[in-house]
Parts: sequence; C-alpha cells; structure tokens
Amino acid sequence: MSKGKLYLLLGALVALAYPFTPLASDYVLHVAVLVMIYMVLAMGLNIVPGFCGLLDLGFVGFYGIGAYTAGLLTVHYGLSFWAIVPLAALNGALWGVLLGAPTLRLTGDYFAIVTFGFSELVVLFLTNEIWLTRGPLGLPGIDPISIDLSWLSSLLNPAWDWYYEFDGETPYYLLAIVLVLGVYWMMGRLEDSRLGRAWFALREDPLAAASCGVNILLYKVIAFGISAAIGATAGSFFARWTLFLSPDMFKFWESFLVLCMVVLGGLANIQGALVGAIILVALGEVLRTVLPALGLPAETRFLAYGLIMILIMRFKPKGFFPAIATSGLSNPVIVRLRKRLAEQYGAKG
Amino acid sequence: MEAATQAAMQAALDPTTNAGAAPAPNKAPGAAAAESAGEPILEVRGVSKRFGGLLALGDVDYTVPRGRIMGLIGPNGAGKTTMFNCITGVYKPSVGDILFRRAPGAAPVRTNGFKPEKMTALGIARTFQNIRLFSDLTVLDNVRIGRHARTRQIFLGAVLRTRGQKREEERIVEDSMRWLDFVGLGKHALAPASGLAYGHQRRLEIARALATEPGLLLLDEPAAGMNPQETQMLDELIHRILDQGITVVLIEHDMKLVMHICDKLVVLDHGIKIADGTPEEIRRDPRVVEAYLGRGAADA
Repeated sequence: MSKGKLYLLLGALVALAYPFTPLASDYVLHVAVLVMIYMVLAMGLNIVPGFCGLLDLGFVGFYGIGAYTAGLLTVHYGLSFWAIVPLAALNGALWGVLLGAPTLRLTGDYFAIVTFGFSELVVLFLTNEIWLTRGPLGLPGIDPISIDLSWLSSLLNPAWDWYYEFDGETPYYLLAIVLVLGVYWMMGRLEDSRLGRAWFALREDPLAAASCGVNILLYKVIAFGISAAIGATAGSFFARWTLFLSPDMFKFWESFLVLCMVVLGGLANIQGALVGAIILVALGEVLRTVLPALGLPAETRFLAYGLIMILIMRFKPKGFFPAIATSGLSNPVIVRLRKRLAEQYGAKG
Repeated sequence: MEAATQAAMQAALDPTTNAGAAPAPNKAPGAAAAESAGEPILEVRGVSKRFGGLLALGDVDYTVPRGRIMGLIGPNGAGKTTMFNCITGVYKPSVGDILFRRAPGAAPVRTNGFKPEKMTALGIARTFQNIRLFSDLTVLDNVRIGRHARTRQIFLGAVLRTRGQKREEERIVEDSMRWLDFVGLGKHALAPASGLAYGHQRRLEIARALATEPGLLLLDEPAAGMNPQETQMLDELIHRILDQGITVVLIEHDMKLVMHICDKLVVLDHGIKIADGTPEEIRRDPRVVEAYLGRGAADA
C-alpha cells in the first residue's frame, strides 16, 4: 500500500471515529457535513473546468435540480433516499446532456455565459413554478434519511423491526464521509483512464486531440453529464439533510463559491478540490461571526470570496496545489514501467 | 527503386491484401490483383478551397502512391497546410473529392466532410507545423492519447476497473512504449512533454501520430528548426516508418532532405498545382524554378 493511501485510510478512520469521542459537538459535525457536501460539489465541478478546461458558472443549477428532485420525490411519493440518489443523479445527468449537447460547441466565455444563464433559469423555474415547487415559500416537510430493513427482519423474526431513521448530525456525518470517499475514489479512477486522458487532451489542444481520434463534442458532453450527476447527488443528500428547500439556496453565488474552491485548490487536482472546500467553508463560518461583530451584513462575505479569487489569480494562478502530470503514478502498470525504465537507463526519475 | 520493391513485398506480405483484394467493380478480375499494388492510397481530385474571396486551393489534382514518400512543396502561402487540413478533415474542400483507400484493392472512401477524428479512425494521421503536443502531460500520456482511436473503454470500465479495461490499459502502455522506443524516446516516457528538447518534441509528435496506426502519415515541416544531425536522424526515421508499411507525405522546406528522401513531389504555388513528378523532373522544371526564384532565374 502506498503512503498516500495509508494516510487517506488513517484520516478516514479518525474522521469516522470522531463523533464517538467526547470531543464531538453538534456544531462541528454540522460544519463537517457542510464541508463534505462542498467537497463532493467541488470534485464534481472539477471535471468541467479542471479536466476539460471549460469555464462552468452554472454548476449549482444541477445541485438545485438534484435537491428538488429528491425533495419532491420524498414529499409526494415518500421514496427512500437510496432509490432517490440514483434517480436524482440520472435527472442531473439528463439535464447536463440536454444543456451540454447543443452548447458545448461554444468556446470559452460564450460557454460560461450559457451555463450562467442555465443556473439562473433553474432558480427562476424553482421560484415561479409554484404548482410544483411551492416557489419562494420553499419546500418543507422532507423526511430525513432512513434505513428500512423491516422487510428483511420480518422474514427472519416477526418480533424484530430493523428500521432506523437518521437522527441528529452523526449519521449524516458518517454517510457524508462514505459519499466523499466514493466520489473521490471514482474521480481517481476516471482521471487515470482513457476517458480522463481524452479530457486532458481536449483541454490541452482540441485540434491535436481530434487528430488523435477524440470526438471532442462527445467527450465534453460526457464530462458535463458526469459532473451534473455528481452535483445532483450532492443535492439529493442536501435535501434529505436540511429537510427544507427554497430556491434562493441555489443562487449563482453558490456556483461561484464552488468554483473558488476548485481554483483555490488547483484546477484539475482532486485533492486540491477537497482542501479548497475545507478552507472556504471554514472561512465562511469565521466570517459569519466576524462580519456581524463589525456591523456588516452577512452577504459581504462574498466580497471576501471575490478578493480571494483576485489574489489567487494574481499570485497563484495555478492554485495552491497545481495539478502535475502524474500519469496515474500509483497505477501498477506505471509503477512497473518506471522500475523497468530505471533498470534500463540507470536510476532516473 | 528500393522503395518500389519494398512496397511490392509489403503488399505481398500484408494479410489485408488478400482480404481486401475483391476486384474493383469496373475492372476485369485479372487486372485488379496486378494493379492493386500500384493503386494510389490517396487521390485528390479537383480540390478547391475558398475562404471568402481568397482561393487557397484551386482545382488541385494528384495521387499519393502507396508505400512511398511523397513531398508537397511550394513557397510560403502556397496552400500546402491547407491541403493537409482538407485531407485530415479540419477543412471541407469547397469543390472536389478526396478518396482514401486504406488497404490495397479496397474500395476507395470519399472522405469529404468527415471530421478529423473520423479521418484518424480511417487511418490518416498527421503532425503539425508548429508542434501541438499536450504539453502539461507526460511523454507517455501523449502517445497513450494517440491510442484513443484504437481502444474502446469509456465510463463504466474506468470506474469499475473491469478485467477488460485493465487489460486494455496495459496494452495501451505496451503499444505506446513500442512507438516511443521506435522514435527513440522510451527513456523519457515519464517526463513531462514540455521538458523535451525541440527535436525530441517533433519525434514525440510523430510517435503520437504513429500510435493511431495510420496507413498514411502526413508530416507538416518535420525538419523545421532542426540541426543537420537531427535532420539526418529524421531522414532515417522516415525510412523506418516506410518499412512499417506506412505511406508518408511531407511538407518540407529543406530541399536537400526533400530531394534526397522523396519518390514523388507535388509543387503548389498560390494554391495551384504547378508541377508533379520525380525529384529529378521537378528540379529541371522551369515553372518550379520560377515559382521559387522569380521569372528572371527561369530564363537564365
């Protein structure tokens, strides 16, 4: 096992154990869940501007679609969270493809404007289609996540009832860890695959990528679809966690915040996106107490985010952890190749 | 002469020859087998390309003989790179047809309007006049991306790491390393592409193109900016590419290299074909001399 994997495992174990230690507090757990939701969002967004080099300002639209899909399915049909996650992800991917297929021919700023418009459209839809979403009144009464195994327990022993409803922050916290690890693991695999390399190729040089046989539009749409599905997954978790949704949770600023996380951590760097999420959510919490103390409204925190973006662009344009050409260094095939090259040509990295 | 015999041998050894030797519909069955070795791999028929009022290519006709090296020459702005872009699907010819016949004796494919990735899949690969590498990626990754057209795994394989996907990834690395060793860059496989010396970058671009398994390789000024030793190595490399059964077309300004290496030359000037033939014929052609040196020189 490599050193990086060992650290990751240790970190995950410590994180899993935390809520059962005397240090645990509801506030910390709540913020930690928030951090992890943003981690998933940042990793999902990272595919589009990071791997493919396309500026996406509308990511929160997919987050909103996922959240409302989950919220409405819960309120109206009482569907289980475990059935809702794939449905929300598919719905997100569907809208990602529907938006991406016609617009991904656009390049640079034009594409960014379309995505921005899309996320505004989602907010307008959620606000105005009152028959479906209750509009600005919001969508209350969403059930928390539950694990229902009563069908199994009643088969085994009629006296048992294996039914557990999530209560307090701890189960959400644990589930969020699983979600983050799952998405992280998936991202690592996508990055080191034919699909990931095709994305990098079209980011680096579209013409050369096409000359290598990469169907540029198709691979952009795939990236957009996967990214949207991850955003929607995060949204469905969010819906069943906050238990209340309203359209103003999915304003443009959220997109900007997630984009900040990705850029801060270093575009295309998966771990960087995680660090970016921690830093910016923590900063948000600090500002939440500091700003009112200074007599400023809470919305001024976006000034701080804007300032951070400007400073990064000026002093660290590649983020704090720039992605390097790793070529899937931990992949056994590459490890073997490195060893062979070292033997063949003498010790050389 | 040598190249001609090589081509004949390759045609004889190539397993696709038999498979694809179904006679062309308009030819007598007996004649087809004999002629298939001499069938051009690419035919350019009356191709014009217009950009608004500018005629970049005007009614250009030529054929690229299979298993040979053909040179496309002409002064700056003659339309050589535009020609390459038409062949590789970057541009669609305004008028005219381009016919590609990958295997000898196979039915020709009319490629007008095909996208670049489709042309790559058909078997036409290229390099670029100003090097276009994926410079943030490693040398190996550049060539691995070249394998894209010949491999298939997309999303599920990558996420689930199925056995088929793992095997394909291993094969991609093996094949890529073979092409890197072929151009002499195996040693640098895991270095970033942007760190390579200039001559090596040109070779890497060739390796990436070769990794797509082309039948026809288009090289756009491969010797530009190279010193004499590097040019010498390039000369040798191009001959080795030919030995792989790949037809080569190159745009080049280094006349010494062109005259030495090419079996056939096509000369463009202001988008019009002014001559084609062997290097010997081209060297003596007064129109070519005039295009390069001006009217007075041709008379003198």
